[in-house]
Amino acid sequence: MTTTSGAIAVEKRPDEPAGTVVLDSVTKIFGESTAVDNISLRVEPGEFLSLLGPSGCGKTTTLRMLAGFETPNSGSIRISGEDVLGIPPYKRNVNTVFQAYALFPHLSVAENVAYGLQQKKVPKAEVREKVVSALEMVKMRSFADRKPTQLSGGQQQRIALARALVNQPAVLLLDEPLGALDRQLREEMQLELKLLQSQLGITFIFVTHDQGEALSMSDRIAIMREGKIEQLADAETIYSSPTSAYVAGFIGQQNFFEGTLNKDGNLENSGGKIRAAIPLSAQTGTAVRAAIRPEDITIDSKEPGPQINAISGSLVSISHLGETLQYLVDVGGGHTVLARRPRPGAPRLELKSKVWCTWTPESVLMFHAHEESPGSHDSPEE
Amino acid sequence: MSRLRLPRPILAFPAIGWLLIFFVAPVLLVLWFSFGYKPGVFQTHANDKLSFDRYAEALNPTFFTTFWNTLWVGVAGTLLCLIIAFPVAYWMAAKIPSRYRGLLIALVMVPYWTNFLVRTIGWQIILAPHGWLSAALNWLGLIDGSLDILYTRSAVLLGVVYNYLPLMILPLYVAFDRVSQDMREASKDLGAGRIATLLRVTIPLAMPGIIVGTLLVYIPLMGDYITATVLGGAKGNMAGVLVASQFQTAQNWALGSAMAVLLILLILVSAALAGLIIWLLLLPFNRSRRLVIGVAK
Amino acid sequence: MPTENSHIKILASAPAARIIARELNRRRFLGFAAAAGGAAFLAACSSPESTLSNGLESQLSMYSWGDYDAPEVLTAFTKDLGPKLTVDSFGSNEEMISKLVGTKGTSGYDIVVPTGPYIPQMVENNLLMKLDHRQIPNLKYMDPAFLGRDWDPTNAYSICKAWGTTGFVYDKTVITRDLFTWNDFFDAAMNEASGSVSILDDPGEITGMFYWANGIDWNTTKKEDIDAAEDFLVNKLAPHVAAFNSYPGSDAVPQDLQALIQIWNGDARLGISESDDPDKWVWRLGAPTTELWMDNWSIAEGAPHPKAAHAFINYVLEPANSLAELDYIGYHTGAIDIEQKAKDEGLEMLDMVFFTPDQIATMKDAEVNEAQERTVDIWNKMKAAAGA
Ligand SMILES: Nc1ncnc2c1ncn2[C@@H]1O[C@H](COP(=O)(O)OP(=O)(O)OP(=O)(O)O)[C@@H](O)[C@H]1O
Ligand SMILES: [Mg+2]
Repeated sequence: MTTTSGAIAVEKRPDEPAGTVVLDSVTKIFGESTAVDNISLRVEPGEFLSLLGPSGCGKTTTLRMLAGFETPNSGSIRISGEDVLGIPPYKRNVNTVFQAYALFPHLSVAENVAYGLQQKKVPKAEVREKVVSALEMVKMRSFADRKPTQLSGGQQQRIALARALVNQPAVLLLDEPLGALDRQLREEMQLELKLLQSQLGITFIFVTHDQGEALSMSDRIAIMREGKIEQLADAETIYSSPTSAYVAGFIGQQNFFEGTLNKDGNLENSGGKIRAAIPLSAQTGTAVRAAIRPEDITIDSKEPGPQINAISGSLVSISHLGETLQYLVDVGGGHTVLARRPRPGAPRLELKSKVWCTWTPESVLMFHAHEESPGSHDSPEE
Repeated sequence: MSRLRLPRPILAFPAIGWLLIFFVAPVLLVLWFSFGYKPGVFQTHANDKLSFDRYAEALNPTFFTTFWNTLWVGVAGTLLCLIIAFPVAYWMAAKIPSRYRGLLIALVMVPYWTNFLVRTIGWQIILAPHGWLSAALNWLGLIDGSLDILYTRSAVLLGVVYNYLPLMILPLYVAFDRVSQDMREASKDLGAGRIATLLRVTIPLAMPGIIVGTLLVYIPLMGDYITATVLGGAKGNMAGVLVASQFQTAQNWALGSAMAVLLILLILVSAALAGLIIWLLLLPFNRSRRLVIGVAK
Repeated sequence: MPTENSHIKILASAPAARIIARELNRRRFLGFAAAAGGAAFLAACSSPESTLSNGLESQLSMYSWGDYDAPEVLTAFTKDLGPKLTVDSFGSNEEMISKLVGTKGTSGYDIVVPTGPYIPQMVENNLLMKLDHRQIPNLKYMDPAFLGRDWDPTNAYSICKAWGTTGFVYDKTVITRDLFTWNDFFDAAMNEASGSVSILDDPGEITGMFYWANGIDWNTTKKEDIDAAEDFLVNKLAPHVAAFNSYPGSDAVPQDLQALIQIWNGDARLGISESDDPDKWVWRLGAPTTELWMDNWSIAEGAPHPKAAHAFINYVLEPANSLAELDYIGYHTGAIDIEQKAKDEGLEMLDMVFFTPDQIATMKDAEVNEAQERTVDIWNKMKAAAGA
C-alpha cells in the first residue's frame, strides 16, 4: 500500500479543489446484493447535496464509502482531489454525523466535541477555545459539562453536529441526522443546518428519505433507486421536470393516469383523454402514464366547458393542511384523484356532492408506463 | 387496566431471598462461629463465650505465607485470564459474523461440560513427567527426558487459565458486544486510530464487563484450592486448604471460620486496592483528557 | 461407585479413567463432601420404608472412606439380599464424627467405618450402636489376632474391616542406594530426591514419621517432642517436599510423579501394579517402627436400617467376599487363613499385604489426644513452608 502523503503528491488534481467529492463508477456489492451500482457523481466545494431515495437504495452505503467504513468493489473516490481508496477513516478529512448520533456516553458533551481535536494533539487551550465556540455555534454552550444521556434528541443532534464541525472537515457527511426528531424541531433544525452550511462553506452530503427536507435544504438532489442515481439536479428541476415517473412520484404527490398513446399524442383510456403540452415522442399505441400534481388540479361543482383534461367524481373528503385545503375525489372504479388549493379562494364544496376536476396541458407530464412509481398517489385508470 | 401489577420491590423478592439463603446466611453463620471456640475433641464449635481469640490465633505467619502464595496465584491467574480473554472476546464480539458467535460461545463453554475436578485431574495426567504431553514433546524433539512442569506454579497457572477462562471471556464478550460498531466508527471518523479507539472508547465502555470478569475470576480463584493442589502439589498451597484443614481435619470450625472471614476480607481489600492502584495509574491519562467548561460568563 | 467409573470411561482412555475415578472418589471430600452427604441424607429420609421378604429393610446407607470396597461385592450384596445400597465418602475420621455429632442420630447413615482409636470416644458420645453378634455368624471367619483390640476389647461396637501400615516406595532409577528406615527416607529426601518427595496429606502420619524415626512415642504430648518434630519437619524436610498426597498409589506411582513417596501399604501395591515399569519401584515398610491402623465396620446410633446393616457386615465377612475386598483395596481384612487363600488365588505382591509377626511387632497404635491441635498446626506450617 502506498503511503498517504505519497498518494496525495501524485494524485492531487488542480481541477478538484478542497471540498470537491468525486465518485467515479463506484460499485459496492454485499454478497448477492448490489448496494451501490456504478455511481458517478461530482460534488462541488461548499455545495449542499442530498441523497434521496427509499429505504435500502444505497444511501448509507455511499456515505460509508466516502467516510472510509466500506471499500468499493470497483470505481474510485476522490476527496479534495485525493484518491482516498485505501486510506482509513481516521486519516480522511471528512467527518460524519451519524443517524443515531453515536455520542460517547462516557464522555461529557464538551469531551465529545473535543475528541477529534484531542486526536490531532491540538494544544489544550486551543481545544477549549474551539469546543466553546463550536458549542456556541449550536447553542449548547450551557450544556457543556453534561453527559449526552442527559440531553434531549434535538440537543444530542446538535452535539453530534458540533463534534463533527469542530474539526473543520472539507466535507461533512450527514446520515439522516434529523430522522429522530419531531416535525417541528426537524423543520427548525433544517433551517439552522442550512444557515450553518452557507456560513461555513463546507461541502455537505446529506442523506435523507424525506423529500421535503431534501427540497428545502439542498443545492442539488440525487434521487437514488436500487443503487443507481435516477436523477441529479437542483430542487426546482427535480420538482418541475422529473425525468421519470419514479422521480416524479418520489418528489411530492402525483395523480397518475394510465392509458395508451393515440394518434394525436394524447393519453386515451376508457374514461377519456389527457393532453400534455409536451407530448411524449413515442409510437401510437404505446402504454403511457400521465402525472399531474394535486396543486395543479382545479376543483369545482360546476361542469366546465368542453375541455379535454377533466374528470368528474364524488367528493370524499376535505382536509386542512395549514395553508392549503386538500380534496379527495372518488372518480369511480376504485380510483381517486387528489387536488390541493390554497385556502384563500378555495371553493366551498359539499361532501358527497358531484365535483369536476380540471387541469391544464402544461401541468401534465407524460412517461412510458412500464416505469413503476414509488411513493405516488393512487393512480386511477379511467 | 385490570391487569395485576405487582409493585417492583416484590418482583425482586425471589432474587433477594435466594441471596439471603445461599449467600448472606452462610456468611453470617461463619462470622458467628468465628467468635466462638472449639470446646473439645468431638465438638466443632461453641459460642457460649465470645471473643476475638480465634482471629489472634489465625493471624500467624503460616496464614500470611499461605495468603501470599494464594494472592500470587490469584493475581497472576486473573491477569493471565484477562490478557488471553481480552483479544478473544473482542474478536468474537467485533470481528466474527454473528451467525458463528453462538457456536464459538458453545466452544468456550465446552470444558464446563465436564466436572471441574475431572478436568483438573485430566490436566494432571497430561502434564505428568512421563505423560502424553511429555511423550509428544519428546517425539517432536522439543524436550529431552521428562517434562518438569507438573507441581510447579506454571502448571497451576495453566490449570487456572483452563478452568477460569470462560468466566472471563463471557462477560468481556458481552461487554464488547454492547460497545456498538457505531461507537468505534464514530471514534475513527474523528481521527482516532485503532489503538486510540480501543483506549478511549472500547475499553472505557466495556469497563463494567472487564470489572465483572476480573472479579468473577479473582474471587472464586482465591478460594479455590483444587486446581492449585492437584496441579501444583506443595507449590499450590492455598489459603482455602488452610481453612479446609480446620473445618475437616482439625474439626475446629471456630478457627476455620475466623480464617474464612479473614480470607474474605483480604480478598475484598486486595480487589479494592487493585482497583485503586489502577485508577491512580490511569489518573494522569484521564486528567489530560478531562475538559470542564463551566458555566458561561 | 461403579456407575461413576463407567461414565468416565466414555471421556478418557481406560487407565486414565481408572485414575480419574479413584481420584474423584478420594478427593471428593475436597469440594463436594457437603453436597454428597446431603444427598445420602435425603435419600435415607425420603424413600418409603418397606421390608423385604427376608426381613431386611429395603435400603442401606454406608458412610465410608472413598473407593474402599470392591464394587462387585457391593452389587452382589444387593443382588443376593435385596437392600439398595447408597455409599457416601469422607476424608477423615473427624469429618465423619462431626457429621454424626451434628445430626445427633439422624444422619441417616447405617454403616460407618471409623479407625480404631476413635471408637472409645464415639461410644462415649453415643455415636455407635451395639452390634448384635447373633446377626453376624460370619464373625467366626475372623482371625482372633485382629479382634479384641484395646479400643474395643469385646468387639461390642466394631469388627475389623481392614488394617494396614505405613512405609514408603522409591524409584530406584533415581535413588540408587538402598533405603530401609525413616531416617534413610529423610536423608534421601534432603539429598538426591529433593523436590521429588511426596508425603501423606495427614497430620498424624507426618509427625509420626519423625517420632518413628527417632524412637519417640507416637502419642507423645510432651512439648519438647512436639517442638522437635515441628522444627525438623517445617524447617528441614518441608522445603524438599513436592506434594502432600494421601493416595499416591492412584497417581504419583503409576505416573512417576515423584521418586520418594510415603505411602500406605495397600496403596503402594495398587500403585506399583498399575505402573508401566513396576520393577523400578521398591517398597519398604517403615522402620524401626511404624503404625498399625485398623478401620472397622460399625453401625451408627439411630441407624434406620439396622437389620440390613448387620446383614451387610455378615455378608462382607464371608471368606469369598473378604478375599475380593482384599484384592480390590489391597489391605488385610483380618480374616482367618486369608493369606493362604490369596496365595492360592495367585494374587500378587502379597508382601505388601501380609506381614510377619516380627514386623507386626514394630507397628504402633495411634491415640486421639490433645496433641492433635499442634499436629494440625505443624501440618499447615509444613504446607506453607513447602509452598513458599
Ligand atoms: N453490511 C452489509 N452487509 C450486507 N448487506 C448490506 C450491508 N449494508 C447494506 N447492505 C444492503 O445494501 C443495500 C443498501 O443499504 P443502505 O444501508 O445503503 O440503504 P439506505 O439507502 O441507507 O437505506 P435506509 O434509508 O433504510 O437507511 C440494502 O439492500 C442493504 O440490505
Ligand atoms: Mg441508511
